[in-house]
Amino acid sequence: MILTAKEISKEVKKGNITIDPFDEKCLKPNSYIYHLSPNLIQVLDVGDKRKKAKTKELLIKERGLILEPNKLYLGTTVEEIGSKKFVTSLIGRNSIAKLGMFLQITADLGQLGKAHRWTLEIKVVQRLRIYPNMEIGQVTFWVPKGDIDIQGTEFYAKQNEPYPSQLYNEKGK
Amino acid sequence: MILTGKEIQKEVEKGRIIIDPFNIEDVETNSYDFHIDSTLYTYKKDILDPTEENPLEEIKIPASGLILSPKKIYIGKTKEVIGSDYFVPIIKGRSSTGRLGIFVNITADLIDLGSIQRPTLTIHVVTPVKIYPNTKIGQVTFWVAK
Repeated sequence: MILTAKEISKEVKKGNITIDPFDEKCLKPNSYIYHLSPNLIQVLDVGDKRKKAKTKELLIKERGLILEPNKLYLGTTVEEIGSKKFVTSLIGRNSIAKLGMFLQITADLGQLGKAHRWTLEIKVVQRLRIYPNMEIGQVTFWVPKGDIDIQGTEFYAKQNEPYPSQLYNEKGK
Repeated sequence: MILTGKEIQKEVEKGRIIIDPFNIEDVETNSYDFHIDSTLYTYKKDILDPTEENPLEEIKIPASGLILSPKKIYIGKTKEVIGSDYFVPIIKGRSSTGRLGIFVNITADLIDLGSIQRPTLTIHVVTPVKIYPNTKIGQVTFWVAK
């Protein structure tokens, strides 16, 4: 079950959903619009999943930053978002998608757990200028079924900066 | 909770889900297949900018087919009007289009409750692919809202 805007607002007030800062104006009928933080990293080398990726830090200035196709960028939300009760899913806004931005490369599903600024996986089809704090995506909240164990999600949930993949560090690689 | 094909059909009959035209053969086990409209748009500019107008160029998919380029974004629509005041629609590609490397939507798969129109498709291909008018290109699922 997906939460409607009224329900999202209610659960934010009850403290079951964290969206910080929260602005009623960003509520859509069944989602909440989040913004892009000015700190971005470009992943320079993902040739081998067993090695740590090389990255470069970028800052999105007021005049904008042009993203290039065939490159991978990681950003974060401005907002701290999370819930221990409702499952989050982060996707791009329709208006930005129309300009060819993939926001989350297939991994749109969040884990139940602590609120943090979510890492965004970004790729563009054509060259696209982006701006700091722009409305970039929307988050939805889903009612889960079953017992909740949030211990496994503590690690990524601590990260508030664009955070590269830790796949190289995983057991059984 | 996601609606099954039978439930989608029931809700269409009750008028709580709009799919127009509706064709029983396009009902899948837990989704409904939609078709692509034959008008597509591409951008004229090299650098796109969300704060400026980004002029579009219209292209028709001819009966003989149109080869899509991996370097471009194609904006299209479904042939069907789709929407609901009760269930949240989410659009996806079909596995048969996915296996050809066709993205039917770029990340934004969610449709607002109450938005009843021909959903926008943001089409992108991984390698050049030829598409034809009226292709069954994607599927829509319906989710219970709280």
